[in-house]
Amino acid sequence: MQIKRPYLVELFTALALLLAPFVLPHLGFSPSTINRILIWGLFGLGFDILFGYTGLLSFGQSAFYGTGGMFAAYLLTEAGFPYVMLSIVIGAVVAGVVGYLVGLIALKRTGIYFAMITVAIAEVFFFAEFNPLSAYTGGENGLPGVPTPVFNLGFTVLKFDTDWTMYTFLAFWYFVGIVIALRIVRSPVGAILSAIRDNPLRASALGHNIHGYKLTAFVVAAIYAGFAGGLLATMQGFMPPDAFMFDTSGQLVMQTAIGGAGTLFGPLIGATVWLYLSDFFQNVLHLGPTWKLVLGIVFVLLVVFLRRGIVGAIDDLYRMARSDRKNTAEPVAASSEAKAAAVEAMPARRRDGAQTSGPILQATGLTKRYGGLAANSDIDFSVDHGEMRGIIGPNGAGKSTFFKMLTCEVEPSAGKIVFEGRDITGMGVTDVCQLGLTKSYQINQLFDRLTVRRNLMIAALGETRGKFKLDLFKSIRSVPGLEDQVERTAALVNLTARLDTPVSELAYGEKRRLEIGLALATSPSLLLLDEPLAGMSPSERVETVALLKSIARGRTMIIIDHDMDSLFELVGKVTVLQEGRVLVEGTPAEIKTNAKVQEAYLGGVHGEVA
Amino acid sequence: MSRNLKSGWTRREALRASAGFAGAAMLPVMPTVVWADDKPAIGTWPAGSEGDTVNVAAAVPLTGSYAVQGADELKGWELAVEHINTGHELMKAIAPKVDKGLLGKQVKLLSADSAAKPNNAVQSEQTFINDNKIVMMTGSTSSAVAVALNKFAQREKILYLAGISGSNDTTGKDCVRYGFRQNFFGQTAAAAIGPVLLKQFGKGKKAAFMTPDYTYGHTVTKSVNDYLTANGGWEMVTNQVSPLGTQDYSQYLTNIANSGAEFLINVNWGRDAVLSTQQAKQFGLLPKMTLVIPYQIPFLAKEVGPDITEGVFAATDFWWTQEDQYPLAKQFVEAFQAKYGYRPEWGAENSYVSFAHWARMVSEAGSFYPPDVIKQYEKGETIPSLLGDVHYRPEDHQCIRPVVIVRGKAKKDMKNDEDFWEVLEVVPGEGLMQKPDEFGCQLGDYT
Amino acid sequence: MPASDRIIINLGTGSGVINWANFISQCFNGLVTGALLALISSGLTIIYGTLGVLNLAHGAMFMLGGYAGWVTYTYTDSFLAAVVAGSLFVMLVGVVMERLVIRHFYTRPHEDQLLVTFGLGIVFVETVRFFFGSLSQTVPPPGPLVGITDLGFMIYPTYRLALLGIVAVALLTLYFVLYRTRIGMIVRAGIEDSVMVDSLGINVYKVFMLVFGIGAMAAGFAGIVNAPVVSIAPDVGEAILVQTFVVVVIGGVGSFPGAVIGGLIAGEIISITTMFNPAYSQIMLFVAMTLVLVLRPHGLLGQAGRE
Repeated sequence: MQIKRPYLVELFTALALLLAPFVLPHLGFSPSTINRILIWGLFGLGFDILFGYTGLLSFGQSAFYGTGGMFAAYLLTEAGFPYVMLSIVIGAVVAGVVGYLVGLIALKRTGIYFAMITVAIAEVFFFAEFNPLSAYTGGENGLPGVPTPVFNLGFTVLKFDTDWTMYTFLAFWYFVGIVIALRIVRSPVGAILSAIRDNPLRASALGHNIHGYKLTAFVVAAIYAGFAGGLLATMQGFMPPDAFMFDTSGQLVMQTAIGGAGTLFGPLIGATVWLYLSDFFQNVLHLGPTWKLVLGIVFVLLVVFLRRGIVGAIDDLYRMARSDRKNTAEPVAASSEAKAAAVEAMPARRRDGAQTSGPILQATGLTKRYGGLAANSDIDFSVDHGEMRGIIGPNGAGKSTFFKMLTCEVEPSAGKIVFEGRDITGMGVTDVCQLGLTKSYQINQLFDRLTVRRNLMIAALGETRGKFKLDLFKSIRSVPGLEDQVERTAALVNLTARLDTPVSELAYGEKRRLEIGLALATSPSLLLLDEPLAGMSPSERVETVALLKSIARGRTMIIIDHDMDSLFELVGKVTVLQEGRVLVEGTPAEIKTNAKVQEAYLGGVHGEVA
Repeated sequence: MSRNLKSGWTRREALRASAGFAGAAMLPVMPTVVWADDKPAIGTWPAGSEGDTVNVAAAVPLTGSYAVQGADELKGWELAVEHINTGHELMKAIAPKVDKGLLGKQVKLLSADSAAKPNNAVQSEQTFINDNKIVMMTGSTSSAVAVALNKFAQREKILYLAGISGSNDTTGKDCVRYGFRQNFFGQTAAAAIGPVLLKQFGKGKKAAFMTPDYTYGHTVTKSVNDYLTANGGWEMVTNQVSPLGTQDYSQYLTNIANSGAEFLINVNWGRDAVLSTQQAKQFGLLPKMTLVIPYQIPFLAKEVGPDITEGVFAATDFWWTQEDQYPLAKQFVEAFQAKYGYRPEWGAENSYVSFAHWARMVSEAGSFYPPDVIKQYEKGETIPSLLGDVHYRPEDHQCIRPVVIVRGKAKKDMKNDEDFWEVLEVVPGEGLMQKPDEFGCQLGDYT
Repeated sequence: MPASDRIIINLGTGSGVINWANFISQCFNGLVTGALLALISSGLTIIYGTLGVLNLAHGAMFMLGGYAGWVTYTYTDSFLAAVVAGSLFVMLVGVVMERLVIRHFYTRPHEDQLLVTFGLGIVFVETVRFFFGSLSQTVPPPGPLVGITDLGFMIYPTYRLALLGIVAVALLTLYFVLYRTRIGMIVRAGIEDSVMVDSLGINVYKVFMLVFGIGAMAAGFAGIVNAPVVSIAPDVGEAILVQTFVVVVIGGVGSFPGAVIGGLIAGEIISITTMFNPAYSQIMLFVAMTLVLVLRPHGLLGQAGRE
C-alpha cells in the first residue's frame, strides 16, 4: 500500500474525517449514524487484520466487543470510576487479555473448526453476560447511564456530549486506530500475517512461528473490539447486551465483506453502506418489515458481483487503469539471458562455533511408517560441509518422505537426525529453518496474492528476525539488510524485473525460480531442493543448473531430481534410494555404471537413466 | 453546514447561556440565542415543535420472535395519530383539547424495526432525534428495550412512552423522569390473578413455572410465586427457565411432567409462549394441569387455538369484549376493526391509550416543553381510559389502571372467531400496586 | 447501585427435577430431539463433504420445507401430500440455488461461500415473512398420531414417537442412497477425492447439483415433519441452524455417520442438562463442542483436511 509516499493514506484519512461532517449530512447521514459507522469501522480494523490480513475468519468478535464495552461501562456506572477514557482503555486491555486466553484454545484449530470454536466461545460469553454475571452486566437490560468523556486540560474543559463533539472524539480515535493498523500492516509482522493467510505451511517452513503471529493478530483484533465496545457505551450512554450477540459478529463479517477484506477501510465502507441502506429502506422508503428482504438481496448481489468488496473493486479498477498504461508503455521484457553468475549469492548462515568441515547432516536408522506401509526404512545418510549431493530413485522410492523427515516436516517413526552437531529429531520445521536447514518444494509453495518482493522479504525475515518478534510498529523497510538480501536473491534467480509482480501473474518457470529463491533467501547452510528442474524447458534447465552452481559456494546442498544429466553435472556424490532404502551411494560415474542401479531403473516402472 | 450540525451547536450554546445551567457552561463564550429565561432549549425543544408538524417515533420489532406483537402495537399508534390529526371523537373523549392536531400542529408517526433488541431501538431513536427532531418516542415489546429507552430518554431529554413492558423495573428501579408506562406489569398481574386463583382452586397447590431467562420473566415469576406462596401456601415444584427463542420445549416439559405439578404457570412471551403452550398440550400436560398465563400475550389464542386456551386463566390489560361495559372501548374496537379488519388486542390498546394520554397532557399543558408535559402527568389528575378512569402516579410514572382477568372459552361458546376469552373480573388498579418506593424508583431530573 | 440488588431480582437460573424417572424420560426425549438434529445435520454435512460448501442457508431450507408443506396442507388436508410437497419443493430450491449461485462459488474462497449462503438465508426468511407474515402456523399431525402414548416409564406425544420412526426411516434411506447406489458411490468418492471423480469422466456438476438437492431435501423433509411439533414461523430455521452446526462439528465435518452420532449426542446433552439446570442446556452444547474440538481436531469421525 502506497510504497512511495508512506503517509499519503494517513493524510487522506485525516482529510476525509475532517470533511465528513460537512459532506455526509447532505447525503442523508445523521450525525449519530456517522458516529456508529466510525465505531463499526474501528471495530473492523482489528477484525480486518485478523480476517483480511491473516485469513482467520472469526465469528466470535462480539465476545471481545461486549467484554471491553461492558467492563468499561461497569467501571463507569456501577463502580463509580470517574475517568471515561481510562475506563475504555482498561476495557480494551481486558478484552485483549481475554482474547489471548480464547486465542490459546481457538487457534489450535483452523478453517471451519476455528470459526465454530469462536462461535461457541461467543455464545458462552453471551450466556455469561446474561446469566451468571447479570449482577454486574445488568443482564438483558445492559448498563445504562454511561457518562460521556470530559477532559480537563487546565485552561479549558473539553466535553463530548453532543453528536458532533462526540464525532470529533470518535474521529480522533478512528484516526489513531487507522494509524496503528497501518503501521502493523506495514511492519514485518504484517508481512508475515499475510504470508500466513496465503500459505501457512510455507510461512512456518520459512522459520516463522505462525502460531505466535496468529495469536498476535487475534489479540490485536480483540483489543480493537474491546476499545470499540467502550466507545459504543460512551457514545450512546448505554452498554447494550446485544453487543454480545452472534448478530454483532455476523454484521461485522458482512460489513467487512461488503467493504472489502484486507483493505483496512473495508469495514468502514461496509458499515457506511449497511447503515445507510437500512436507514434509507426504513425511514425514506418506509418498507416496514420488508427492509430486511431488500437489504438481503442487495447483500447477495454485492457478494456475487464484487469479489473483493467495494474497496477491492475500486482498487481493481485503479490497477486496471494503471496496468493498461503500463502495458502500452513498456511491454514486459522477456529476458532469457542468464545473469545469475554475475551476482554473488548470500553467504550461508554462520553460527558461532559451528564446524566448517566434517558432516553437516547425519541421519541414522531413519524410518517412516504410514500404518503398515514403510515409506523409508533404516536409512543411514551423511552429508559433509560444502558437499553437493544428489538423490535419485524411481518414483515411489521414498525420496520426498525422506526430505520431509530431514526438514522435520514429518516426524520419523524411528531413527535420529543430527544437523551441525545438534540432534534435531522431533523438532519443528520452523526451528530447523532457524538453524539454517530449509527446502525448496517439489510443488510450488508460494504466497500467491503477494508480489515477488514480498515473497522474498517474508523468507528473508525469518533469518533477520528469528522465529518470533513483536516489532509491530517497525516499518518493514527499516529492517537492516532486508532490501539488499531481497534484491540479491531476486537477481540470483533472475526475477529482478518481476519484483513488483504478484506471484499469481508469474509464468511457471518464474514460479519455480522463486520457489528456489524463497529457500535461498533464508540463507540456509544446508539447502534441500526437491526436484528443482521439474517441468522446466531445456533452456530453463540450463539456466537453473547455472544458478544452482552459483549458489553452491560455501553452502551444502542436497538435490532430488529425475533429470540425471543435469544432476550428474552438478553433484559430487549421488545416493540412490529404492523402495525406501539406500540402494547405493557413489560418484556420478560410479552410479552410471552400477549394475544395481541399472536394474532398479530398467526393472522399475520408469526407465529414466539416460 | 447542515441543519443538524447547526442545531447541535445551538442547543449547547443555548444551554450555556442560561443562568440555570452553570454546570454545563464550560465552553468559550459565543454570542447566542436565548429562548426564554425559564425555558432553555432542551432535547429537541424547541426545534422539534417549531414547524406545522411534530414528529413522534416508534421502534418496534417487525422481524424476529416478537414481530407479531410489534406490528400490532404499531397499528395502535397509527390509529391514535390519525385520531389526533382528525380530531376523532374517541380521542377528544380522552384528550378534550385535541382539535385536528395537537396545539395546532399535525402529528407524524415514524417507525423503525428494532428486532426487539435494545441496541437497535436506541440506534433508531437516536437517528429520529437527529433527523426528525422527534418530540416523543415509544416502542418496546420487551422490558429490555423499555429500560434501555427509558435511560436513553432521560439522557436525551425526550419523552418516552413504554410499549408492552411487563417488568417491574420499568417503573421500578429503572424508572426515569422522562418515561411513562400505561400498561399493567408483573407485580399488578400477580396481585390481580393471585386472588382469583386462590378463590377458584383453594390453598396448598403445586405449581410448575416456565420462565423466559431474562428480567421480565424472573420478575413476573417472582411476583406471582411470592403472592401464591405467601397468601395461599402454594408450592413452586419446579421453575423451567429457558432462553429466548427456544424452539423445542420437550426437555422442559419432560421435567414438568415428572414434577408432580397441578398448575402450569407459563411466563414465556411472544413466539416462545406459543410454542411452549402448544407443546405442553402435545405432552398431555394440558388439560391435565391448569394453565395460567400471568402476563397475557396478544394473539396467543389466535395462534394456538381455543382447544388449548380453553379454561386457561390469564391477566391482561384489555380484552375487546369489554366493549359491552365501556363505551370508549366500543368506539376503539370499532374504529380499529374498520381500519385493520380484526379486533385489537392489548398491545394496540396500550399504544392507543398511551398516545391519547400524551396528547391530553400536551394539550392541557399547552406546550411541548418536556418539563411542562411531565409536570402535567405528575399532577396525577384522574383521566379517562378505555376502561374507565385512571391516573398516573407522580412518584414512579406508572399509570394506575385496572387489570383484567380472563378465562379461555371453549370453542363451542365462542360467538365469533375472535371471541377467545371471557372476562372474569376487572380488578381496580389502586389495590394492586406496590408502594411507590418499593422497587427503588428514583426518577431523576427534569432538565 | 449495589450489585446485591440485582441478584435478588434475578431469581437464579431455575430448577431442575432430579430423579431416576425423569432421567430415563430425559434420555428418551434426548433421543427424539437428537434424531431430528441428526437428519438436518446429515443434509448439511453431505453438501459440505461433497461440494466443500458450508450452506448457511440450511436453516432457511428447513423453514421453507415447513411452509411448502403447510401451504400444501391447507389445500389438500393431507399430511402425506404436505410431506412430499415440502421435500420436493426444497429439493427444487436447492437445485436451482446450486445452478444459479453456488456453482459460481466453487472456485471462490470459503468465506465468500459462507457470505452468499448467509445472505440467501436472509432472503428466504424475509420472502416468507413478506408473503405469510410473522404469525405462527400449525400443521396438525395425521389423525392416528394425535394424542399421547403411555410408554410405561413416561407418557409421550404419539406424534413425537412416530417422528422417531419417521426420522429413522429417512436416515436409513439416506444411508441406502449414499452407500448402496451408484450415485451414492460417486458422492462418497467425491467426499474422498473430487479430482478423482472428475478424472473418471463423471459429470461432477450434475453430481454436485444432485447432492445439493438431496442435502436440501433432507432439511426440507425435516422442516415439514417437525411442523406438527414446533409450529412454523419465518425464524424457525435460525435457531436450528446453530445447533446443526454444532452437531456437524462434533461429528466431524463431512461425515454422514458423524452427523448422526453428533445429533444424538447433542440431543442427549440438551435433555440431560435440562434435568439438572434448564438454563444451562444450550450452553452445555457449545462447551461440549469446544471440548471435542480441543481433544479431537476433526471432530469425532471427521478426516483431516476437510475443514
